[in-house]
Amino acid sequence: MKKVHLGMLLLLLLFVSIGSGCIGGQQTVTVTQTQTQVQTQTQTKTETKIQEKIFIRFAGWSAGETEMKNYEKIISEFEEKYPNIKVKYEVIPQMFHENILASFGAGVAPDVFYVDSSWAPIFIEKGALHPISEFASKDFINQFYPFLLKPFEKNGKLYGLPKDWSMLALFYNKKLFEKAGLTKPPETWDELLEYAKIITEKTGVPGLAIYLGGFNRYVPVAVSNGAPRPWFEKPEDASWFDNPIVKETLKWYIDLYRIGHVQMVKEGKKPYVVQPSDVGAGWLGDAFGQQKVAMVISGNWMIPFLADQFPNFKYGEDWDIAPLPAGKAGRVTMAYTVILGINSKSKHVKEAWEFVKFVVGPEGQKELVVKAGHTLPSIKGFENDPDLWPQHKKTLSFIPMYNDLIVFLWGPKSGILENKFSDAMASAMRGEITVDEAIEIMKQVVKEELGG
Amino acid sequence: MHFSFSSIYEKTKTKELIAGLALVSVAVLLNMVFGYFAMAFAFYLSFFKWDYIGSMKFVGLSNYKIVFEDIIRGIHGAPYLLSPFYTGLKNILIYTAIVVPIQTFLAIVLAAFANQKIKGQQFFKVSYFLPATTSSVIVALIFVWLFMRNGFINYILTHFIPGFQPIDWLNNRNYLLLAIAMVAIWGTSGHFMVSFLAAMQAIPKEIYEAAMLDGAGPIKRFFYITIPMLKPMITYVVVMGLIGALQMFDLAWVMAGANGGPGGAGYTVALDIYNEAFTRIRPGVAAAKSWVLFAIIFTTTYIFQRKYGRAVR
Repeated sequence: MKKVHLGMLLLLLLFVSIGSGCIGGQQTVTVTQTQTQVQTQTQTKTETKIQEKIFIRFAGWSAGETEMKNYEKIISEFEEKYPNIKVKYEVIPQMFHENILASFGAGVAPDVFYVDSSWAPIFIEKGALHPISEFASKDFINQFYPFLLKPFEKNGKLYGLPKDWSMLALFYNKKLFEKAGLTKPPETWDELLEYAKIITEKTGVPGLAIYLGGFNRYVPVAVSNGAPRPWFEKPEDASWFDNPIVKETLKWYIDLYRIGHVQMVKEGKKPYVVQPSDVGAGWLGDAFGQQKVAMVISGNWMIPFLADQFPNFKYGEDWDIAPLPAGKAGRVTMAYTVILGINSKSKHVKEAWEFVKFVVGPEGQKELVVKAGHTLPSIKGFENDPDLWPQHKKTLSFIPMYNDLIVFLWGPKSGILENKFSDAMASAMRGEITVDEAIEIMKQVVKEELGG
Repeated sequence: MHFSFSSIYEKTKTKELIAGLALVSVAVLLNMVFGYFAMAFAFYLSFFKWDYIGSMKFVGLSNYKIVFEDIIRGIHGAPYLLSPFYTGLKNILIYTAIVVPIQTFLAIVLAAFANQKIKGQQFFKVSYFLPATTSSVIVALIFVWLFMRNGFINYILTHFIPGFQPIDWLNNRNYLLLAIAMVAIWGTSGHFMVSFLAAMQAIPKEIYEAAMLDGAGPIKRFFYITIPMLKPMITYVVVMGLIGALQMFDLAWVMAGANGGPGGAGYTVALDIYNEAFTRIRPGVAAAKSWVLFAIIFTTTYIFQRKYGRAVR
């Protein structure tokens, strides 16, 4: 009898252990914990001088398979150079910053993670990032373009170094332009709209693709027509939306889709503006690569994607890049940059810095950014590097044409504001609310988010 | 001295109690951690302002004020982006009013059919129950595909109804919620059918025999014996249905998207709680909203239980 009971109890214990395994998340986690416990126990017993392996967790989002492979490669190079440090690479595909914030709440934030310029103030203000200026020498910092460092500075401290940067440009399909009898890319915003209509009429392919919403893609239109840069720090800053230029340009931008798609479909005509999902594509780059649209406004990250996914769709022959169209007050483009931030609560800040230095330093950027053709290097001096892809070189050559280069940042709560603004804009683009209502909502959002 | 857990176990007088407690311990522990602790912590959180990184700031009832301002704004006809909670609440009440009665009625009908002694009834039982065993996300994805403008459902309707114009179910604000409700009804009726089947098989045969002697036909027997005898089970199913429908998240997430689709037509309270916590980074407000939702669900089910929940003795 005793045996039977023992068996039952063993079974019970098994259940309990499985249950507790579930509570701990994954069972593998508990296993590694016990291993480290065993390790530390043996260490305290024998007091050996064996160097313990230090684990760093590094989180980023993914810009495609190639980028992930390149990161894995650079990580293995780093681990060879620093045998006592192991880096665990984690990819968070969606809602990256929100996920990182939530992991801070749960106390399991990674040691090194991407931070986009628009989210930087939130992280810096809350003391989530370890100041880089403690480790990095002046000379090291001076290698970077100063305008890319601005979003990450506060009270004389620098909280991160950009891993690369990108700017918006106009990508256009040369073959479709020829078919429509157009010889050069559009010079002004009004021309862009006109060309979109002509191309749709002549070729049957939608002329332009935009995202539904996308406040950051609209800002260059506003500023190039004479509006001030958007900046929202206090509730009164909502008055930016009262500027007549803003009202006019926002209406123009929303009408791109509202008239160019929604109304056209209603009237049974072919839409000349689409969003990627209208043509069965995942994002702008995908729609452009599949040649389902003639023009998109996107950043340098599109270049390696096109080369990788659509090798027969050739740069120079089939498609080309042009600067963003000009408004009444000149040309303006957006710049996007991302740092590798170090978690201030990390136990291995020094090792994390070694890793960051390795990745964003000249050698790392040469591999990851320049050779891989990923985006634009954030370190000066690569402009004429033979390894820099011609497509990226071309976008760099547009810089003198621009009157202003706006880094993606509209104040301390940019990331959250961007989400809410885009919701309102998307709603207006679908024709659910008027442009004035959308403006009212955006003003309300600014007042709510920055009012105490 | 040899000491082991089993020897203690052998000596105890209350063997059954120990064994019983051991067996339920895992479930109770899980319920404590993920149920009651989470609830209590959410209540605590709902009085604080927090953004996950910094420290929590006590703000009293201001999170609840945000929720009620949202509702008042919605009643005054503000656009859905400015009154997301009200929009979600409105949608979820309409959705519940559609789903719960239909799914309960369907479940009874299906159970009555499955309770007959006909050939192949086992097959029907299995096929009705299958949707309940399928992941709701997969179900929603399949229905997204069926509900497309040139999808299967429109194809069938245009072929069988003359002059029917294809509906863009998922991109038309008038039909989106209806489409989600249909998927919910399809997915849950079979699940509740099993409950009714169990209740029907517990009805004593003698009652039916007596009724047959008195000359009651099958329809009469169904309405005068089966339905009244099922009353406690109907109450249970409606209450469970209400709780499930008012908390609906997964179907809306897949079929309408995180922002509730066109015009917020598929926006639900659960979606709003999620967005509040993870896109607007206001966990305090999210906790307040979830407690308001809890209050709504608790009162509805409580009133329903009080009115109809007394078992027939």
